[in-house]
Amino acid sequence: MFSPSHPLQMFFGLIVWSAWFVSLYGGLGVVCKLAPPSPDQGVMTWVNALVLVLGMALSLFLLFCARRCWAVRSAAQCLSARERDNQRFIASAAAGVYLVGAFATLAVALPAVMLAPCV
Amino acid sequence: MKPDQMTDPLIQSNQERHRTFDRVWGNLPGWRALSAVNHTTIGLRFIVTGFMFFLVGGLLAMLIRTQLALPEQDIVGIELYNQLFTMHGTVMMFLFAIPVLEGMAMYLIPKMIGARDLVFPRLSALGYYCYLFGGLIILSSLVMNIAPDTGWFMYTPLSSANYSPGPGSDFWLLGITFVEISALSAGVELVVSILRTRTRGMALSKMPVFCWYILAMALMIIFGFPPLILGSILLELERAAGMVFFEVAGGGDPLLWQHLFWLFGHPEVYILFLPAAGIVSTLIPVFAQHPLVGYRWIVVGIILMGFLSFGLWVHHMFTVGIPQLALSFFSVASMLVAIPTGIQVFAWLATLWAGRVVFHLPMLWILGFIVIFVNGGLTGVMLALVPFDWQVHDTHFVVAHMHYVLVGGMLFPMVAGLYYWLPHVSGRMPSDTLGRWGFWLVFIGFNLTFLIMHLTGLLGMPRRIYTYEAEMGWGWLNLISSIGGFVMAIGVAAVILDIALHFRFGKRATLNPWNADTLEWAMPMPVPTYNFASLPTVETRHPMWENTDLPQTIASGQHGLAEIQHNRRDTWGSDAITGKVREIINLPSNSWIPLQCAVAIGVLCISLLVKAYLVAVLSTVAAVFLLLRWSWHNGGHPSVTPLREDDPTDPPLHSRTFDGPGLWGMVVSLMANGTLYLSLLFGWFYLWTASPLWTVPENGPLALMPLVASGVLLTLAVLLYGRGLTRLRKRNADRLGSMFWLVSLLGAAHVLLLLWILLDAPLQPTQTAHDAVLTVMVLYQLIHSGLAVILTALQAVRLRLGYVSAQIPYEPVVIGPFWLYTLGVFWMSFAAFVLLPMAWGGS
Repeated sequence: MFSPSHPLQMFFGLIVWSAWFVSLYGGLGVVCKLAPPSPDQGVMTWVNALVLVLGMALSLFLLFCARRCWAVRSAAQCLSARERDNQRFIASAAAGVYLVGAFATLAVALPAVMLAPCV
Repeated sequence: MKPDQMTDPLIQSNQERHRTFDRVWGNLPGWRALSAVNHTTIGLRFIVTGFMFFLVGGLLAMLIRTQLALPEQDIVGIELYNQLFTMHGTVMMFLFAIPVLEGMAMYLIPKMIGARDLVFPRLSALGYYCYLFGGLIILSSLVMNIAPDTGWFMYTPLSSANYSPGPGSDFWLLGITFVEISALSAGVELVVSILRTRTRGMALSKMPVFCWYILAMALMIIFGFPPLILGSILLELERAAGMVFFEVAGGGDPLLWQHLFWLFGHPEVYILFLPAAGIVSTLIPVFAQHPLVGYRWIVVGIILMGFLSFGLWVHHMFTVGIPQLALSFFSVASMLVAIPTGIQVFAWLATLWAGRVVFHLPMLWILGFIVIFVNGGLTGVMLALVPFDWQVHDTHFVVAHMHYVLVGGMLFPMVAGLYYWLPHVSGRMPSDTLGRWGFWLVFIGFNLTFLIMHLTGLLGMPRRIYTYEAEMGWGWLNLISSIGGFVMAIGVAAVILDIALHFRFGKRATLNPWNADTLEWAMPMPVPTYNFASLPTVETRHPMWENTDLPQTIASGQHGLAEIQHNRRDTWGSDAITGKVREIINLPSNSWIPLQCAVAIGVLCISLLVKAYLVAVLSTVAAVFLLLRWSWHNGGHPSVTPLREDDPTDPPLHSRTFDGPGLWGMVVSLMANGTLYLSLLFGWFYLWTASPLWTVPENGPLALMPLVASGVLLTLAVLLYGRGLTRLRKRNADRLGSMFWLVSLLGAAHVLLLLWILLDAPLQPTQTAHDAVLTVMVLYQLIHSGLAVILTALQAVRLRLGYVSAQIPYEPVVIGPFWLYTLGVFWMSFAAFVLLPMAWGGS
């Protein structure tokens, strides 16, 4: 399952993105209910900071995963041509998904640079 | 065998083999064809029925356009107009678009992957009848002039009992839920079929690209439909039983409905687009005579679209008062979806660029699709911008955008596909002249109607108004739109006429008439019921281009499973990734059970509509009985695959294995079920955080210690069942029957205790949303636990009768995940509904 050519790798990047997206929206709802930062603080709140830091950390993680999958394309010389072809297909598709996943993760966090959390 | 088939050279030269196959795989004659389960028949029934509903939806659209053609008209009146636009949207979305695309997928998938049928044929038949009966129930409301009239998305509180006291909303909620059984069954069926029944050698990377699209669509149905099913159940419970979910005074929130609806509604757009894009990706390489450029990137695009489309639902709710930062998440996600769309559009253009395009009729519709869909996509990006959306929300601009995306993104490719695969069904070619007239009339009429409507919307005309004053200045624009609508209708009539006439006058199609590359063209035309007389090995994406004598070698039985044994309907079961053959899947034959089940569920639906609750209870019992009878005729049952001395061993029959398609079907079904449960959890947390009058009682209404005891009993039952399965996996079935009886007893004790807790609890579901959601959760648990007990008891009986044994271990393995799921739901609910409220200060 942790192998870069496991079929689940083709979806894992976006599963991470989905979890991030749901946590972002749900978490913001909970924070705004329980401990809303003052609107006077504008974007300089711990919520904005947390969103940006977590967004960047997750994006870096996904980029790392993308690189790991991409590297598999040239490996696995011991396999038959058919199996190698199969593995390359999965690994390179997974790398693409991770790459877009990393971009999407950062993209949805970026508005925290200019918007206050609970207004 | 159909008379037309007799003339096909592939059949003429292999008549004896084809007669044998047709006897085993064919439908029963006359009215007994209602018992058919064959994917070709069921797929075509879906398509034909869907187009019948399309004509009804189109007629409603024409009435709407007639009413709006000139200002201050009173042709249909305000009440009927409300019913017309509600039913137009409902019919087109739920009764036409999804079912027809599902029908096409059901028809094509086995033929493309080299299988003889879908993996759960009886489920296909059940899905069709649920769709047909549900659709007729919804339409009957229109005939009786009591149709729903609150818009196709049924917003509360307008659709609640206070503001819609008539039965219109009930028809929608119950009818649509009935129809959605069909969509979910198709979703499960298609996922498992694509993953587990591909022919020998067809690895994931060699799968026709259409199958990737359908796989994504089917998975999106699995995750996208349950929120709406839950929402419909809750709203119907509120309307019929007075329980509180969406009423603010009791701690509910009408916005919860919008969330649940659009959690389904937005992915729905992509559920429609993906198969249509699959048709485009299939047809463009054929008419460019060049392999699809960027197959791998298209697969990435499909996966991206499948996921990202679930992050857009709030962009239908930009005006309801959500914090700006939260809005921006959805705004960005809405723009991100342009990435996978762009990947596909560029891959299509590159393929066209690289090949030599032949402009046959289907290709014309594909070009129409590209023009219209790209425009619809651009206005979609405009609407993803929050300030722009605020300006045009609920205007005709949105109506125009939606039709550009849906008609351009779905109807045009669908008609292209229809023309492309028509020779498959009829063995004849469509008329080029009449077909081109049809295309141009539809294309011009469509743009006349909806391009203008962007302007009408920008000038401020709201949607869903039945008339407008002449002074508003929208009159001439509406007149053009209405004229365009009628031109489009004439175009549709030309297409229908063309298709109808071609069955009689069309030129006879030659083998593989478009010189296509995929496997569905390697069979006689019209297609036989069994698809392939022998199942070929396929290790390329273009089998028909690289192996041109496939039709002959398949028909003459030179490949796998060329002989029929014991009148079984056999097809390969293969590895989900590599396509290596793992087992022989034995498929069920014609059966009345799906029709009987659908009738019982239909009676349940009607009895709820007329509030005949005793009949509702009786029909529920009948439906459960019939569904259990369905499960009884499986595996080692004498009418299916009893143990025989000449049973194949390499590969074995699927009922002799531990990882058959039933297990996959169960897991995929539980994914849908789990989404429904998570939607309920979402509702619970949403009301807690967002509902202004949400209250939690001082003391938890459920007795804590008995609840824990009930959970312990359930846990013991699951552990014991797991132990039984471990022994079975070691091919040891000694005393397994006793173990299963003990599991059933423990489970029954858990159910009874939980039932007592529910009946003893001071719950007031008609007073507070807290108690209403809690009641639904406990009922959900009781249904699952009760079903697990019954299924296990049945397995114990089957063990005694010899239908389950160490050699036939299939069914207990299938039930295993259901027990685990039931246990997981119990303890997760315990944490969310009992422990968490204690922590947040309620009980």
